[in-house]
Amino acid sequence: MSSETATVQKAEMAGASGLLNCQDIEKSIAAAAELLPSQGPITAFAFLNPLQGMEDIPFDEALRSVGEIYGCAPYLDEARYIAKLQRGRISVEELRAVLAEDPDESANELIADLVARKDLRLNMLQYPLYTGDERELQWVIAETDALQRFRREISHEVRDHLIEETRHWIMRDLRKARSGELQQHTPELAQALQDAVDQFPVASIEDWDDSIWERLCLNLMWRFVQQGVLMGDPGSRPSNGNQRHSELFRKVTGVDPDKLVHDVLIRFCAAYLDQGFAHWKLPDRQAGFFNSFCRLFGQTAAVGSVWLRQLPAELNRIQTAGLTPVQCIAESLQLLGVTQEEIPCYLRSCLLALRGWCGMIWQTEVRPDRVYIASPPGTLTEFLAVRLILDRLALQHCAKDVLNWQGAAGQLREDLEKQVVHKPVVNPEQQAFLIFQLAQIHGWLPQTLAEMSVERWTELIREVDSFSSHERRRVFHAAFERRIAHQAMDAVVLRTSAPAIKPERPQLQVVCCIDAREESFRRHLEEIAPEVETFGTAGFFGVPMYYRGAADAHFAALCPIVIKPKHWVIEDVVYSLEESHRTRAKARRVLGAATHSLHVGTRSSVGGAFVSTLLGPLATAPLLSRILFPRLAARMHRTARQFVAPPAVTRLRLEREEGTPAGQEEDQIGFTLTEMATIAERALRDIGLTSNLARLVIFLGHGSSCLNNPHESAYHCGACSGNPGGPNARALAAMLNDGRVRRILRGNGLDIPEETHFIGGLHNTATEEITFYDLELLPTSQVRSLRLAREVFSRVAERNAHERCRRFESASLELAPAEALRHVQERSEDLAQTRPEYGNGTNAICIVGRRSRIRGLYLDRRSFLMSYDATQDDAQSSILARILGAVIPVCEGINMLYTLSAIDSQGWGSGTKLPHNVTSLLGVMDGAASDLRPGLPWQGVDIHEPVRLLFIIETTPESMIRIMDENPVVGRICRNGWAQLAVLNPQKSEILHFRNGQFVPYTPGVSELPSAETSLDWYRGWRDHLAFARIGGADTNGVS
Amino acid sequence: MLTVAGYIVVGSPALLLAIIGLSMLFGHRLTERFLAQLTETSVVTGLIAALMILGMMLLTDVRHVPVELGNWVDIPEEHFHFNVKFLFDRLSVPFVILTFVLCGVIGAFASRYLHRDEGYHRFFLFYALFQLGMILSSVAGTIETLFLGWELVGLSSALLVAFFHSRPNPVMNGQRVWTVYRFADAAFLLGALVLHHLTGAGDFEKLTGAGPWPEGIATISPSNALIVGTLLLIAAAGKSALVPFSGWLPRAMEGPTPSSAVFYGALSVHLGAFLLLRVSPLLEQSLPLRITIVALGLVTAIFAAVTARVQTDVKSALAFASLIQVSIIVVEIGLGFRYVALSHIIGHACMRTLQLLRAPSLLRDYHAMENALGDHLPVNSSYWPGRVSNAASSWLYRFAFERGGLDAMLDEYLLRPFLRVFQWSDRMERRWTTFLSQPASKPASEIPPPGD
Repeated sequence: MSSETATVQKAEMAGASGLLNCQDIEKSIAAAAELLPSQGPITAFAFLNPLQGMEDIPFDEALRSVGEIYGCAPYLDEARYIAKLQRGRISVEELRAVLAEDPDESANELIADLVARKDLRLNMLQYPLYTGDERELQWVIAETDALQRFRREISHEVRDHLIEETRHWIMRDLRKARSGELQQHTPELAQALQDAVDQFPVASIEDWDDSIWERLCLNLMWRFVQQGVLMGDPGSRPSNGNQRHSELFRKVTGVDPDKLVHDVLIRFCAAYLDQGFAHWKLPDRQAGFFNSFCRLFGQTAAVGSVWLRQLPAELNRIQTAGLTPVQCIAESLQLLGVTQEEIPCYLRSCLLALRGWCGMIWQTEVRPDRVYIASPPGTLTEFLAVRLILDRLALQHCAKDVLNWQGAAGQLREDLEKQVVHKPVVNPEQQAFLIFQLAQIHGWLPQTLAEMSVERWTELIREVDSFSSHERRRVFHAAFERRIAHQAMDAVVLRTSAPAIKPERPQLQVVCCIDAREESFRRHLEEIAPEVETFGTAGFFGVPMYYRGAADAHFAALCPIVIKPKHWVIEDVVYSLEESHRTRAKARRVLGAATHSLHVGTRSSVGGAFVSTLLGPLATAPLLSRILFPRLAARMHRTARQFVAPPAVTRLRLEREEGTPAGQEEDQIGFTLTEMATIAERALRDIGLTSNLARLVIFLGHGSSCLNNPHESAYHCGACSGNPGGPNARALAAMLNDGRVRRILRGNGLDIPEETHFIGGLHNTATEEITFYDLELLPTSQVRSLRLAREVFSRVAERNAHERCRRFESASLELAPAEALRHVQERSEDLAQTRPEYGNGTNAICIVGRRSRIRGLYLDRRSFLMSYDATQDDAQSSILARILGAVIPVCEGINMLYTLSAIDSQGWGSGTKLPHNVTSLLGVMDGAASDLRPGLPWQGVDIHEPVRLLFIIETTPESMIRIMDENPVVGRICRNGWAQLAVLNPQKSEILHFRNGQFVPYTPGVSELPSAETSLDWYRGWRDHLAFARIGGADTNGVS
Repeated sequence: MLTVAGYIVVGSPALLLAIIGLSMLFGHRLTERFLAQLTETSVVTGLIAALMILGMMLLTDVRHVPVELGNWVDIPEEHFHFNVKFLFDRLSVPFVILTFVLCGVIGAFASRYLHRDEGYHRFFLFYALFQLGMILSSVAGTIETLFLGWELVGLSSALLVAFFHSRPNPVMNGQRVWTVYRFADAAFLLGALVLHHLTGAGDFEKLTGAGPWPEGIATISPSNALIVGTLLLIAAAGKSALVPFSGWLPRAMEGPTPSSAVFYGALSVHLGAFLLLRVSPLLEQSLPLRITIVALGLVTAIFAAVTARVQTDVKSALAFASLIQVSIIVVEIGLGFRYVALSHIIGHACMRTLQLLRAPSLLRDYHAMENALGDHLPVNSSYWPGRVSNAASSWLYRFAFERGGLDAMLDEYLLRPFLRVFQWSDRMERRWTTFLSQPASKPASEIPPPGD
């Protein structure tokens, strides 16, 4: 838009300012923001469903629209499902079952009087039909044996039937038709038959062998199908209108105006959101996104791209007119010719075109507590205002440059729309080839095809068309999920029908995180020490807090991302070591300052020259050692660090005086006694640990360690916002050890024996190391128990590492447990390692219930495990309600993020790690400049099987329905199918499966579970996913 | 003995390339482990040979070891010959060792970093190509040999930038790098031709006089030195991303992290400086040439220092930080401090490789520094406090933000005229062909837009 026309337009607009409603625009932006990635800064990795904004509509429906909205794949490629079918991960029976239970369609309906719908569809799934573009097909038909040989998978019977019937038909009818005796064939048909037959040596027709008849049969089928497809009416497909100008422009010309716009926007967003990486801050950042953009780009005498030359004038005009960002959007939309009705869609696609950055802007705006430098409310709107201005200029520039067009942008879009040829997705030739193949598979005779009416052709074409790639993949996916769900439910039903395993007098009780990684940890623990009892609970242990360690600079939120903590906790070095703490802190400060100056120095000019010339060659030492001898380098590093680490003896400052408000100030740190008692009681009651307490109870939070990995936080505890959960476990143990807390609990009917001691610890899921806290407070009488426990843990570490190693291709399957432990430790110390561990990859189920009922079940690290004892709950299931209120959204979020990232790594995930480039200290881009990449990297999900999580909850259907009714989030997730749901009867081994809004009884498909003596016996020598199994044979270890 | 070691130095990367290339050509898929071991063996062999040469040179006090492979093409009546000759001297041996060390480290790193990536084999093919190119350039004894190595480096770099060829950005940036390289190569080729014309051979010995590097004295006249030197300077500027070609350097950060580390951070970007070092006796001959070199280095250093300050992502920041040092090295060469420049190259290459490989650790490093300091890291809020007005600092920020507008400038003043000329030629040709054969011919540029 040149400035004169713009001014004219503006004058017009002033007259009709009510045309585009500013409120509508703001509403549309808010609605679209819900669809943006909700990831936040990568240092506090949030596991949330990437499609969280769509959870209020059913899963299938949402996935039908994501292709258009996000441009990402909703399911895996068909080829990958077919590979699963061939490898036996999906079976034909499951496909048949899924097709049969499609509710909204009549599966048995006969299509074109030829075949039942479900059979047609099953064959379309089972036998991948070849298709290609027009020219490719022509080649296939002309040059391959497509018209000479039947498809390979066709059975002998079908083949013989086809050949025999064709022979009869030709021998009987063709001759008569030739002699004019037979009148039922139209002349065209007779001619077609004649043409087909004439390709072969007609004279010897009686001596033809099967191969000639086969060719003739195929030729006839192909002819008739071609004719039939041309007769039938494929119907029209809805065209997707409301496209953005740049989108259309790219489709028509191959030039993408968005590229120009994004080039500027990416750098500007990065500068605006920068949390302190760049040496120079964006000038006037505090003036807001829109204003700082206007000032930076409003300068007239600046260098820059050609297409930006109009920008200063345009920005100055807007500023002089005093337009607010929203008014500016309204103006741009009008100039672009966007109508009132289009606004929501148009703005949505404007935001989603750069969704990583937009999502981050939105997150810094709505969750300022998560970042150091936040954005004021309205920043996303300001972004959009800027984007639309740039869109206009880029479009104008490209239109002039490429098409030599100089009119209004709205007009341009109409013109472009006309030029975009709305090609049907499948053209007649392709359609015909599909049906030709189906005809072979089903054995439809050439005669039948020749005699089909127009209506039947139409029906057939539409039917084939309607079972589109998306629908086929949906069925494949459903069958795949169904298989894993059934396997899981079979395993649970069969296991629970055997007696529960519960040590009568547990020597040790270990409470782990719900995390799927802890499944194998707990299983090995129970295998090695039958007298140990384990529990699972959300890894923040019910202690939401902002925490700052003795050597930390800042508070970190240790609780699920959906919770905003209200308490602050600090780690103090004990008084007697304060002096040493001060010296070491000082040493750290000096070292830190030196590191920082080196960091800055090597990037500067003169300093850099000196540093690199003089010290540069020294860099070979860390370079070579880190990469060639990672183990040694890591050990040296650790030893060196110990000299300046804070002293080992520390305490959490946990208690706050009753009556003071919680806060960050000196006397506001911690919880009051009442709060502590509430937290402690709830933590024990949630997992049903209210009686029979062992002398030693260990709470194990978990974290992970790895090097050179921007996604480090994604390996930590998801329930602690991507931080290690050790401090939470430590805090809970300290509260429960407090005599005053115990007294209050005793008053509430929860009696903790005098001799019971609680310990908090941290399980490193990468190195299998376990750290315990506050051991100097351990009573002498307990030392022996702890020593024994540690011995057990060290054996568990080896076994667990060994089981994990089976999934790492670079670890040999022949490793011994001790070697396996070394291998996993090496991984976490290797600068070049992109897979320090697999996190929650492969998660597929979540079991909420008593461990004793499923103890001894090999769940292949695929199950989240939450302890809950239905027999201790009240009639309203209030304990379950509060558990599920957190567990269902948290686990569903983790599962959906893994699943979608595995389905389309580029679209939902962050693609491969290899080109990742940390930007603004907030996230990663691909390479030099790209949209911000939220989601999990390919290296974290390459072994994940994308399925929706199946919750198996030990409760009654009535309670579950009540919980779904009362908790809208839980209801939305379960009812709309974002997770699968089943309930396990607390008394009997019966499962009710939640299907289409109802609980229906589930009948196990097998009567026996495979079993093995130990986990090792079951998984040894196997890389791929394993079936669920019974470990420890029949009812032996520690049965009560 | 020295000659044998010399053959090994060049032969081992060549063999590596041959094995990987041929196995891929014939569709034989090597396992990841075998590929990694092969690469390791090749690098270690080459490195040992290079170290032997170094040792023997130190022991025997020989400073100059030429290894002749003879004329590969020889047309006496046209006075044309393509002479392949390697030279081991005080410049090439350290550079060869540096190349082997860094390539070895990167090879070890990449063999784990790219584990299971579908492009694993492709990466090691390009890697082998690159390593061969680097070695050939380092030990080149004639300008045509240097050109051969130079081209291999350019080709492999462009291919590595476009490594992730399923996304449009890497491909476009790869093409951009390739285009700049071609421009620089054209200058190189012209320079080589002129040199041949002047001295009758591309031999560096003839050019730089008999003495071993760096003591040689060029035998051509100052004015000729200015012409050849300017052409070679353009070539070096393209390769080392000096102004006005600097725009490609940050764009080259599209490939996998290890390739950015070794190619742009460490080796490839120093190749221009290496060329200048190689012909340094020639530079001695012409004062204006030396002044130009110093000026170009200074301008680039200032440009890069300003631009580096606004970069918000770690790889671009490191790219510009590299550029600062490379341009300072160029200044040093211009001033005649050859040993300083050489040791600067070596130190800088090692340091930057480490930094680039550790680039993904940025967040952790920052966290650690903040914890040590007990607060957020200090950020300069103003540029030169009190001295620069708001408007000027805003202008400077914009200048740095746009990376000096160098790319836009190249597009406008270099690319556009080129395109115009060729499009004009196309039109003329079509007119002519239409005249000759009656049906109108189609323009060459009618490429259908990419489908969805």
